[in-house]
Amino acid sequence: MTSDTAQTLVWDWTIRLFHWLIVLLIPLMWWTAEEGMMDWHRRLGLTMFALVLFRLIWGIVGTWTARFVPMIRRLGSLPAYVRDLIARRNGPSFGHSPVGSLAVFALLAALSIQVGTGLFSVDVDGLESGPLAILVSFKTGREIADFHELNFDILVVLIALHIIAVAIYRFILKDDLVRPMVTGRRGDLEPVSTVKVNPMALIASVVIVAASLYAVINAG
Amino acid sequence: MKAFRVKIVAPAIATMMLLSACGESGGSEAASEASSEAATVQLPNGMTIKEQIEARQGQLEKVGDAFKAISDQLKAGSPNIAIIQEAAAAVPEATQGMADWWPEDSGPESGVETDALPAIWENMADFQEKVGNMQEAAANLNTAAQGGDMAAIGEAFKATGGTCKACHDDYRLDD
Repeated sequence: MTSDTAQTLVWDWTIRLFHWLIVLLIPLMWWTAEEGMMDWHRRLGLTMFALVLFRLIWGIVGTWTARFVPMIRRLGSLPAYVRDLIARRNGPSFGHSPVGSLAVFALLAALSIQVGTGLFSVDVDGLESGPLAILVSFKTGREIADFHELNFDILVVLIALHIIAVAIYRFILKDDLVRPMVTGRRGDLEPVSTVKVNPMALIASVVIVAASLYAVINAG
Repeated sequence: MKAFRVKIVAPAIATMMLLSACGESGGSEAASEASSEAATVQLPNGMTIKEQIEARQGQLEKVGDAFKAISDQLKAGSPNIAIIQEAAAAVPEATQGMADWWPEDSGPESGVETDALPAIWENMADFQEKVGNMQEAAANLNTAAQGGDMAAIGEAFKATGGTCKACHDDYRLDD
């Protein structure tokens, strides 16, 4: 396994695109909220809604390394995996390692809560609000907005942990996780399953996302 | 508050240290003493500090309700003018006598939970002017709403919203 031609595809292109778009969107969304650019915050938020929803659906119908059920099963070997990490006996994982699975669940949960609460949030003046805020009262919308703000701090902490973990892999465990998230490939392992985007699954996911987005935008 | 948020997003480690340092100890005893005083001592207008603070919060919540109702309608494909008219009429009513809602001693030093900043009492003349601006804009919004011209309503709503923000930016704790 020395040449590039023998590299194994680990992450499909939708997963990689999702990951890096989120990386781009989170600072932008923070910035637009800080600056009170709520029109843009809403637009970016709807984009985020579509991305997160897609990822959740892709966790059910997507490629093997994107799926949640194998990741849940892998959590069972978490203690053994961590023991190996501490002893520096870590080997490459095809897909998410047990620790990586934990990170995915935590980050996706925080992201989902962030997007979900954003849809119903109302600002202090009652002037600005999320696309579904019409369904709740001013007071409820304010409470949801407070939670939206608190959850952002939780999300930031999780992201910080994620970055620290990836840095530990890179510099201490000598395992570069960033490159595969860009190229999708790594050269040091045998595939457990083929990572190939099924066009029907992709189309079905995109249709569900588009329909949901349409419903949210037109809820008013 | 903005400075605090900037710190939060800055380096990862600093973030976690900052958050773990949030557990505040001490000071709560003094606050509870002050708040028991706030519940008994009467202001010149006959209300206790606690009653005064809760009363103004209740009134401003009504304004929030009304603003959200108008904002919801303006966003909707086919706005319901009756809802807008009712909400616009509620704002001048809810803000009657607003200039008197922030007497001396009804700030955060009272120990009662309030987002009113001490800056209010340090710049009372400016604060009062901004309250007046809001009431004037709200009256215009009501006139526009009863007139029924959607463009004029949108314009007046924006103007009134601006007067809310003008005050909140300087005199309300940004959460």
